[in-house]
Parts: sequence; C-alpha cells; structure tokens
Amino acid sequence: MDLSFYIQLLLNGVVIGVIYALVAMGLSLIFGVLEIVNFAHGEFYMLGAMLAYFLSMNVGLGYWPAVLVVTAVAVALGYVLYEALLGSLRGQSFERSILLTLGLSMVLQNGAVFLFTTTPRMMQTRYSYSNVIVGDVRVSVMRLFALGLGLLAFAALYLILYRTRVGRAMRGVAQNREAALMVGIDPRAVSRLAVAIGIGLSGLAGAALAPVYAVHPLMGFSFVFKAFAIIIIGGLGNISGAAIAAVALGILESVAGGFLPLVMADALAFIAMIAILLLRPQGLFGRGVRV
Amino acid sequence: MRGGWLRAFLVVLGVAALFAIPRVTGNEYVLALGVSFATFSVLSGGLNLVYGYTGLLSFAQVGFFGIGGYTAALLVTEQDWSLWAGAAAGGVLAALVGLVIGYSSLRLSRHAFAIVSLSFALLCLIVALEWVSLTRGAMGIPGLPVPTLSLPGGLRWRLGRPADFYYLLLGFAVVAHAVIYLVVTSRLGRAMRAIKLNEPLAQSQGVNPLSYKLLAIALSALLAGIVGGLFVFYLTIVDPSIFDFYYTETMLIMVIIGGPGSFWGVLGSSAVLSALPDLLRFTTDLRMVLYGAVLIAAMLLFPGGVGGWLQRRRLARWRRPGAVAP
Repeated sequence: MDLSFYIQLLLNGVVIGVIYALVAMGLSLIFGVLEIVNFAHGEFYMLGAMLAYFLSMNVGLGYWPAVLVVTAVAVALGYVLYEALLGSLRGQSFERSILLTLGLSMVLQNGAVFLFTTTPRMMQTRYSYSNVIVGDVRVSVMRLFALGLGLLAFAALYLILYRTRVGRAMRGVAQNREAALMVGIDPRAVSRLAVAIGIGLSGLAGAALAPVYAVHPLMGFSFVFKAFAIIIIGGLGNISGAAIAAVALGILESVAGGFLPLVMADALAFIAMIAILLLRPQGLFGRGVRV
Repeated sequence: MRGGWLRAFLVVLGVAALFAIPRVTGNEYVLALGVSFATFSVLSGGLNLVYGYTGLLSFAQVGFFGIGGYTAALLVTEQDWSLWAGAAAGGVLAALVGLVIGYSSLRLSRHAFAIVSLSFALLCLIVALEWVSLTRGAMGIPGLPVPTLSLPGGLRWRLGRPADFYYLLLGFAVVAHAVIYLVVTSRLGRAMRAIKLNEPLAQSQGVNPLSYKLLAIALSALLAGIVGGLFVFYLTIVDPSIFDFYYTETMLIMVIIGGPGSFWGVLGSSAVLSALPDLLRFTTDLRMVLYGAVLIAAMLLFPGGVGGWLQRRRLARWRRPGAVAP
C-alpha cells in the first residue's frame, strides 16, 4: 500500500468520474430546461458504446472517427427524440415524462438484448494494450483518451452555456421559464438543443468508455441510476453541481473499491443520495429548495 | 348509488367463480396463472393507491414485495415462525421502510420521491446479492418448507397442492382489494384524490398532504410485503430475482393500461395482463419491448388508460342535453 497505489486509484476514479459527469450533466441539462427526468438516458450511453463497437470491429473505423460518428449520431437521435416524443409533453407532466422515457428505455434495452443477446463484448483498438508508465503508476492509453474526451466535452459544454446566445437562453429557461418566454426566447428551440446536447454527451460517454469496459445491452441500465443519484446529490438541474458530484463519486468509488468489498462501492451512490436528502434536500450545491 | 346491489352481487359471483376454479379443473397451468393474477393484482392495486389516487409515482413496490418475501422466508426457516406471523412481519417491516423512504424524500418533492423510490428498489437488489451472511447472496434461500397454517377452530391446513396456494393467495387478494376499496371510497380516498388533483387547494381545505401520502405508501407497502411473504412459499425459493425490475415494469403497465385512479380498471387489466402474454407465448425480451411500446403509446395517446376513457365517456353522457343526472 504505497503512494503509487493511491495515485493509481485516484486516477482511475477521475476517469470514471468524468464519464459519470458526461452522462449526469446531460441528464441535469434536460431536467433543468424541460423538467423531464430522462429514464432512457442510460440507453443512449449503451447505444453509443454498441455503435462504437460495431463501427470499429465490423466497419473497421479507427477509435477517433468512431467516437466522432457516434457523437454525431447521438446528437441527431436527440433531435429525433425531442421531435417524436418529448416535444409533445408540456408542463405539469413530470410523471408522464418518466413513464414515457421508461417505456422508451424498455424498448431500447430489451430490443438490444433481443438482437444482440447479453454477451459482453470487448472493443479492441490499436492502442488497447498500450500503457503510459510514470514511475510506478501505470495507466492504459484508452483511459487517458476517455479522460481527454471528457474534459474536451466539459470545455465545449461550458463554452456553449456561458459564451453563446443560445447557451444563455438555455440557462434562462432553466432558471425561470415564464420570464424566458417573456423576453422572447423560443422554448421549443432551446429544449430541442438541450436534448440533442444531452443525448450527444451520453453517446460520447458510451463511445469513450467502450474500449475500457465490456459492452453489453444492460450496461446503460445500472449506469443511469448512478447518474440519478449524482444529480440529486449535486442539486436537481444544477449542471456544475452534477459535474462536481460525479467526479467526487468516481474517486470515492474507486478508492472505496480498493479497500471495501465491491458491493459497498456500488451502494455508495445510493447511500450518499439518501444522506444528502435527509441532511440537505436541495443538494450539495443547490441554492434553495426547488418545489 | 344506482346499481349498487347489482354490483355487489356481481362481485360476490365473480369471487365465488374464481374460488370454484380448482373444483372444475386441476390443471396446474391454469392455477399458476391464477396465482400470478392474485399476486400481481395486489401489487398493482397498491401501486394504484399510491400513484393512481395519491399521484406519487413509486418504483418501490418491488422492494416491499421482496422485503416481505425475504423476511417471511428467514423468519420461518430460521426462527420457526408460522407462515402467518412471518408474512405479517414482512408486511410490517415493508411498511416501516416505506414510511422512512416516504418521509425522507417527500420533504423535497414528489419528483425526489420517484427517484428515491427507484434507487431504493435497486439498493434492495444490491443488498440481497451482497449481504451474503443474511440473504445468502445470489443463491437465495431455496427449499422453503411446505407451510402448515393453523386456522380458527383448531384446524390445520397443509399447503401441499398447487390449489392450496391458489386459495391462499386469492383469499389474501380479496382481503387486500377489499381494504383498498374501502380506503379509496372513503373520506381518506377523497382526500388522496384531492391531493393528486390540486395539492395547494387540498391544503387550504385543511388536508395535510404528507400524512395521506405516507398512509398510501405504508398501506401499499404492507400489502405488497404480505403478498411477497406468501408468494415466496409458493415458489419455494426466494432469491435476488424477486427484486427484478421486470415486476416494476409489469405492475406499472397494469396500472397505466387499467387507468390510474380506477379501481376496477386496474383490477381488470391485472387479470388480462397476467394471463394474456403467457397465453400468447412471448419471450420475455419481446414482451418487455411490447410493454415499452404500449407504455409510450399510452402516454402519448390516452394517459387516462381504459378506466379514464370509460369515465370520460360516462361524463360525456351526463353532460348531453336532456340527460338525467344520476
């Protein structure tokens, strides 16, 4: 148990935390702008990973082109999802939105099981067996790529939200829907973009992690529940809160996984969520209780 | 109420017919479908109380179901409790857990309740899989003994045949639905519906929403826990698959199709959906794809379900010019 062991755990935790953050931020963005909890969010993470797998193993695309294609497809799917399903939900329909997206998740997940079976697959790339070694710390190149992609996506999301007009409009709708309407923001356009970005981030996360973990149709299912816990911990609809909570959870899980039985690491997210709800219901970074 | 006696007569007739089935046919497949109907109808009836009447979307029912199952199985096999006591303890424990979850999350919002109830169900699954010293992990507790129940009058009833479990679960389902029916047609049910329709208005009329919500959650948890305790002895095994999300999805579909807030609608859809997919011989994957598509279609086209559609039609008939108000 020396220092390099801890650094190793910490680094693995940061990588998985950043990927959690991609999924959780998309979920949080969609909740903030549309007030919809997207149950099918994890399935797009799964679809992203599956698509990346098939693009690289069956079509022969490299890692980077595969990631690009998957992200583009996911953004397009986000547009379709909004136009086909979510756009018809308006106001006061929280439960309907959950059930609708739950139905979508059932279709996607069980459809994928039906078509591809639950056999885990491993995506191989040119760099699959390469490692970067600094002192005693050894990190696989694929994890570093995933980390890099995650940070890149953070930066892009930050720029969109804080440096563009449409980003400001998005934050406006999330803060106060009526006021945003009053100053002439088109909620449909903003919502459509928010869903596209959210689904895009989820697909990107799946593609980025496909060479690191096994790919199978049930992978999105457990992932999305952790993302729910993260957005509650970070404060519902609070995007930066979700990102911080996600990275913290990734590190915590990784460190806990080094010492505690695996189950504790898995239960950690839920236990943290219940504790936060009891002690600080608005979330760690919430400003006040949202009704 | 107009036709009240007729309805009561039909209900008694229906229940008697259900109880007579084992006398007509000893077919185990028919009885298995009957047991599945009785079990799911209690689960979906409880969910209807929480979601349909009180407006709280809950994913926790399956957790209560499994807690009841594990509690009863452990108490009977390791502490030599009777099945009655074990199932009752399972129900009470489930209700207490339900109160804790409800109280902690409803302080925030009903949105938080939905998400927390979901995480709770998943946490149950993790605990069942990993707390090996208590639950024996993925292997579960197989070989549950054939229970013998003591009945009033010193009789002993050994549940050795499939028909015995059919009688037991059907009997409990009748009791459970009677309780649910009494609640939803009473002042309590009216208050719950008021909370669902307009919480601030209900509050301004002196209704404390939290206590009614907690009552609905606790009652549905109690019923789900007891039925879980009875059901595992029918299966003769309890393992982590009792917390499977499949149960949640199935009971949600039953409530949505039957019509949230419609007692008879949900009961009817429970009967149809327990039997139909099995008779049509779908594989589970395909059945869930179909359920998902039905859920999407229901949410987009008729969120009120069959019960809601019938209610709308009835209202439209009353509103027609010249119609006599009942």
